[in-house]
Amino acid sequence: MKNIIANLNKAFESRIRLGIMSVLMVNDTVDFNTLKELLDATDGNLASHLKALESLDYIISTKQFIGRKPNTQYAITALGKERFVEHLNALEEFLK
Amino acid sequence: MEKQLEDLKAIREMMEKSTKFLSLSGMSGILAGATAICGAAFAYFYLLRDPSATDYNRFQETMIMLADAMLVLILSLSYAFYFSWKKARKSKQKIFNNVTYKLLYHLAIPLLSGGIFSLIFLLRGDVEMVASATLLFYGLALVNVSKFTYNEIHYLGITEIILGLLAAIFMHNGIIFWTIGFGLCHIIYGFAMYRKYDLKK
Repeated sequence: MKNIIANLNKAFESRIRLGIMSVLMVNDTVDFNTLKELLDATDGNLASHLKALESLDYIISTKQFIGRKPNTQYAITALGKERFVEHLNALEEFLK
Repeated sequence: MEKQLEDLKAIREMMEKSTKFLSLSGMSGILAGATAICGAAFAYFYLLRDPSATDYNRFQETMIMLADAMLVLILSLSYAFYFSWKKARKSKQKIFNNVTYKLLYHLAIPLLSGGIFSLIFLLRGDVEMVASATLLFYGLALVNVSKFTYNEIHYLGITEIILGLLAAIFMHNGIIFWTIGFGLCHIIYGFAMYRKYDLKK
């Protein structure tokens, strides 16, 4: 039991972070506004969770401009994918 | 325990929501099917059953059939748009997002090529191949977009392809297969999807 809890990644405890990782698992890149709409989150809240995940190297962001508007695209890293799959497996183990 | 279960549910929902167009309503299928049956009945009883009952020439006949088919198409698209818009609004989703654009793009390629292809046949006066061509290309279009929406659309597509091939074999009865494919199948799938996805919410 102890082992299972250890495998649950603390970084994914918040529902918003879980949502970000889920969306990025199945989409190559997703921009900020799409994430915001999908997760029904506020700008500040979403931005801080994205920053936290980025600082862990689970996701990467690329900034670009569409016309004059800044547009930030997010993608999952290999490390992020690995950690998320571990977390998923741990969740499933927990429910067995 | 409760939290883990909720987490898994949320993950699954996010993965689906971000890759699939889930605002499609079964109701639009039912209505589109009913409209197709009306359109086919009009073409059959007014023109095809007894060509001597009306004194249109071949070209006029073709034009009436084309107008009839276009009306069915426009009405069907309007239902699809209206009910999707309604369902999206109900679940507080935008109807136009990345997934919608992807879906429309992948739907349009086989559908437009099939539409132009059928139009060429129709204008050449080769009306009998039109039922088969429209069914085939429509089926291919559905199979092509099924990964962006409910799985049922995949099987509806396969059904339309089979009917299209049958319509090509039994060319003189094309309108029967067309009525089954665009009418009956839409009603059956629409009803099944309406019961599965729309009713319980």
